[in-house]
Amino acid sequence: MPANDFKIPDDGGAATSGPASPVTDMSRPELQARAGLYALLARCLESEMDANLLHLFRGPLKETVDELGLDLGEDVMNARAEDVLENLAEEFTALFVAPGGVLPYRSVFETGRLFQTQADQAEAAYKAAGFAFRNVYSGEFSDHVAVMLAFVGRLFERQLAFDEADNASAASACAVQRETFLREQLGPWVIGWSRRARGCALHPFYRTILELTEQVVWEDVSACSDQATLKRLALSNRRRLMRQTADPDFRKASGL
Amino acid sequence: MGIQEKLSTSRRGFLKLGAAATAVGSAIASSRLVAMEQELGGADYSPVTGEKRKAVPYTCMACNIEDGGVAMIENGRIVKLEGNLKHPNTRGKLCAKGNSGFLHVYDPDRIMTPLKRVGKRGEGKWKRISYDEATSLLAEKLRAVIERAKAEENHEILNEIVMKWGRNRTGGAVKRFMHALGSNSMVNHTNICESSKKVGLEPSWGPDIESCDWANTKYILNFGSNILEAAYFMNPNAQRLVDGVVGNRAKIVTFDPRLSNSAGYSHEWHAPYPGTDAAIVLAMANVIMNEGLYDADFVRDWTNVTAEQLIAHLKPFTPEFAEKESGVSADDIRRIAREFATTKPATTFSYRGPVKHLWGAYQEAAIHMLNVITGNVEKKGGYCLPRGMGWPQPEPVPPAGPALSAIAKPPLYPLASHAVSTNAPYMVMRGEAKVSVWMSYYDNPLYTYPSSHVWRAFLGDESLVPFFTSFSCYMSETTEMADLIIPDVTYLERHDPESMPSGLYPCLSIRQPVIQPLGGTQEFRKTLIDVIHKVDPDGSLGIRKYFAFDSVEDWMKQHFDNIPGLKEEGGYERLKKDGVWPVYGKVDKETAKLVDDNGNEVKAEYGLYTTEIPDEEMVGTEISEEGTITRDGKPIGVRINGKNYVGFGTPSRKIELFKEEWRTFGFNPLPTYKRLPSRDKKPDELVLTTYKVNVHTQSRTASLKYLAEMYHKNPAWMNPQRAARLGIKDGDLVRITSPLGYIVTRAHLTEGIHPEVVAISTACGHSAYGRLATLKQRDPAARWAQGNDPDIANNVWWDDRGVHPNPIIRLSVDPIGGSQGWYDTVVKVTPAQAGDKYGDTDVSIEQAMKDYDEMLRYAYTGDLHRAAHKEVDIDWNNLPEPKLTGH
Ligand code: SF4
Repeated sequence: MPANDFKIPDDGGAATSGPASPVTDMSRPELQARAGLYALLARCLESEMDANLLHLFRGPLKETVDELGLDLGEDVMNARAEDVLENLAEEFTALFVAPGGVLPYRSVFETGRLFQTQADQAEAAYKAAGFAFRNVYSGEFSDHVAVMLAFVGRLFERQLAFDEADNASAASACAVQRETFLREQLGPWVIGWSRRARGCALHPFYRTILELTEQVVWEDVSACSDQATLKRLALSNRRRLMRQTADPDFRKASGL
Repeated sequence: MGIQEKLSTSRRGFLKLGAAATAVGSAIASSRLVAMEQELGGADYSPVTGEKRKAVPYTCMACNIEDGGVAMIENGRIVKLEGNLKHPNTRGKLCAKGNSGFLHVYDPDRIMTPLKRVGKRGEGKWKRISYDEATSLLAEKLRAVIERAKAEENHEILNEIVMKWGRNRTGGAVKRFMHALGSNSMVNHTNICESSKKVGLEPSWGPDIESCDWANTKYILNFGSNILEAAYFMNPNAQRLVDGVVGNRAKIVTFDPRLSNSAGYSHEWHAPYPGTDAAIVLAMANVIMNEGLYDADFVRDWTNVTAEQLIAHLKPFTPEFAEKESGVSADDIRRIAREFATTKPATTFSYRGPVKHLWGAYQEAAIHMLNVITGNVEKKGGYCLPRGMGWPQPEPVPPAGPALSAIAKPPLYPLASHAVSTNAPYMVMRGEAKVSVWMSYYDNPLYTYPSSHVWRAFLGDESLVPFFTSFSCYMSETTEMADLIIPDVTYLERHDPESMPSGLYPCLSIRQPVIQPLGGTQEFRKTLIDVIHKVDPDGSLGIRKYFAFDSVEDWMKQHFDNIPGLKEEGGYERLKKDGVWPVYGKVDKETAKLVDDNGNEVKAEYGLYTTEIPDEEMVGTEISEEGTITRDGKPIGVRINGKNYVGFGTPSRKIELFKEEWRTFGFNPLPTYKRLPSRDKKPDELVLTTYKVNVHTQSRTASLKYLAEMYHKNPAWMNPQRAARLGIKDGDLVRITSPLGYIVTRAHLTEGIHPEVVAISTACGHSAYGRLATLKQRDPAARWAQGNDPDIANNVWWDDRGVHPNPIIRLSVDPIGGSQGWYDTVVKVTPAQAGDKYGDTDVSIEQAMKDYDEMLRYAYTGDLHRAAHKEVDIDWNNLPEPKLTGH
């Protein structure tokens, strides 16, 4: 996937030129690729890198990574595995877990609080599709970016399965479910959040994964949204600065 | 002319009519449409669905007053907190902090997962781990200490397990944990708070605090307490103070170097020189005694001194002497003394102001004495004993550890019954105590202690503190230094037993999770159970049995299910329903008083000390010549004029104005005044004082959005005349320098401060505690999507987080009560120098260590103690040897 050919306009205008291609028309290989891509992104953002994932990047995925020119960091490809895992675990915790990080929850992005109704909405969508959220560590919620990405991946997978079983209506229902989720639950925040997190990431691995997340989600959201929706989504991702114009010093120096 | 013409058909006409209508106000107010809370009180409804919200009672812990609250829950989330109308002392009202407390729960800067340090200590590099991994790691460290103590057959090694807390409302859980481990090294925080008040009171009459009957009093003398904003029992006391002043036309006179909102609310505000309260109080006592305005019967019957003895003792403390010391005029002192003695009922109240000084305990003992000599003790409208209720500990209760701990009770402070926590790091740095595992619970000494930089050096040194665990759910300045963080939950998600004597109606209350701990986090109590079970998995160490609880709720049931009275009403289940027990009545909507079903005010009890001992309980007792009634050598009452009373909680069961134990260590046994070193400062110096504000605690509310927006910066209050002499204007950048170093902050000029004082509030100037407290992100925010918290990105309009004064505040311990002398540091305030930036702080560890040595000279073995107590009749060459004492 080309890394830099995609732009979200600053003012929230439509992202892509030309009509959106209906994703329901995706070929089976495309569906499969999308399912895999979302699963990979979800895995990278869900928890720390482990030996298995490192092995994937160093082995089966290496050629593709090189081909696409994805910078995962020199150490990820070559350094001693224990060191890489230790280093990335620290980076993961600082970015996504510890106070001061860019918490990967829609609730936080939209309300400034953990576990608000956004988590219920995500959970309801999972439930409607026959999934349930289960946390592994404390402090994980259903509106975690990785859980949402994993859900989209599973819906791609399911659509493919129906398609392969020649169940067109079920496949189509799956696509609708996915597109709705993308527009309503991932679209409003993941792009903005990924950018913010990318700006804070110190390791190229997370910078690249977050950039990919931003692009993949925006591309898929664009493909299933009209211009007005896109504009709205771009704005909601942008979290425009709205500093008060009033002179803050109108309060006495005492702060009272 | 039609109405339209009369109104000139103009907007102006309508405006006029509206303004006129507004002026007549309540005369035309609808009697049908009333404020929702008045009618509903305690019930709440979703504005979206109209459905009734679930109401769960709890006990507030946004600060330490432990008011009763009710959490309104919608879809499993806390949407609102309000006061519990069934709580007799809270009466349905929470303060701003209490109302904002639910923000703690959903704060994105809350620690939600255990974190293990991976970088250097304090570097901020973490790896998340599970609660299971975290408790295993801590258990392994604790077990290693226990095994070493066994192998070396040295009990003292167990005391290398240290628990330091700031706010421990666990109802005995921490003590159970530490004693189970065999350690007595429990280090509280009380000496940075009011310990000298406690020590001034306890030997005098038993309990450590008074409970004024504000609502029924006629006269209040307030010494250095900010009753309406911050002092102990703030919310309940503030309500009843207003009841007294407004409803009962009580007069309030406040002595405080700073014009707090409480001082501003008072009929009179006097600004004494800091630390001279006792001079004023003793002068008042002098007037009262010499003019025969004292309660002769009460002094004779209920104290261990005679009026003559007191008059002789008070002789040097004339109003003129007090004027010289304090700056408050002798005429005012005389007048107020007479008013106080002749207006009945009357009471004093005091909190940190008088006691946070060297010899602070004397000041409290003196204030207490004013109530005693005027006979206001335990009178309706007077100065009452606190009323609390206890609860039993689940059996078996672990015994105290086998070895006494120096760090828990420094031997040079034998009278400081609430310990001297400030000294802990110095003692370890000096080799007077040793640490293997340091645990920190609800504690942030890197911010809240004097010379706070010493704690950074101490906890940052792995040779002094080899392993450090914090149980905080916030990344405070202290928690940043930990090796392991096992996050607790917020107070709205945990269980605790409570009883706070915050009014005249004693009650029990509980803290219970109003929602399940967020995101699978785990409450401290459960962590303690898990750790003990891992230290002693098979019970072979004999520790596990003390934590044989099926669940946290099982633990709570064991506290509450067998309390007589409560048991019959359903025990713990009953408490879960109401949050408090007993329920005395309901809050009258008009008067806000507690009333019974017939609308009559629920009467409080007075004169508790005059409760008579039934004859059958006198069997087997002995009565001393002085009238003290003892059973098995333990005092249980006092015989006065032929009657057997329970009396007060002192050895003689009378009020002991004369404290023999104080004399033993060379202190004056009677309330006295000692001129502080800060009273002899140079003319170009000022005394630095600190204060709390109404919307913050010392440290842990800085992350609450509502509160941070209201108060976030703390310029130094200075008197304009004094500032002018120093060439300082309002808002100027200033350098405040103590022997420890300097801070750079801004000046706020106001007449509301003593000219010799500079005052800086606490609660600001954090270097940690989340984004809101520090106003910094992990990295510079991107141009858009600024922060992942839209509130912080968009609505934080301020960029001033204040400057913290504690690094330049010197260690200064009251040798009697152990309190830190927060208001004893002498400073110079100068215009900032070239290159100074707001917030600059530069302090010295070496000077802090010198301060420790200097401070020890005031301890009972020190030369400065002796020099300051020449009047004490004692064999100075044979003072008791310092020794370790128990718990
Ligand atoms: S005073 Fe305020 S913060 Fe403290 S317990 Fe009461 S309501 Fe809570």
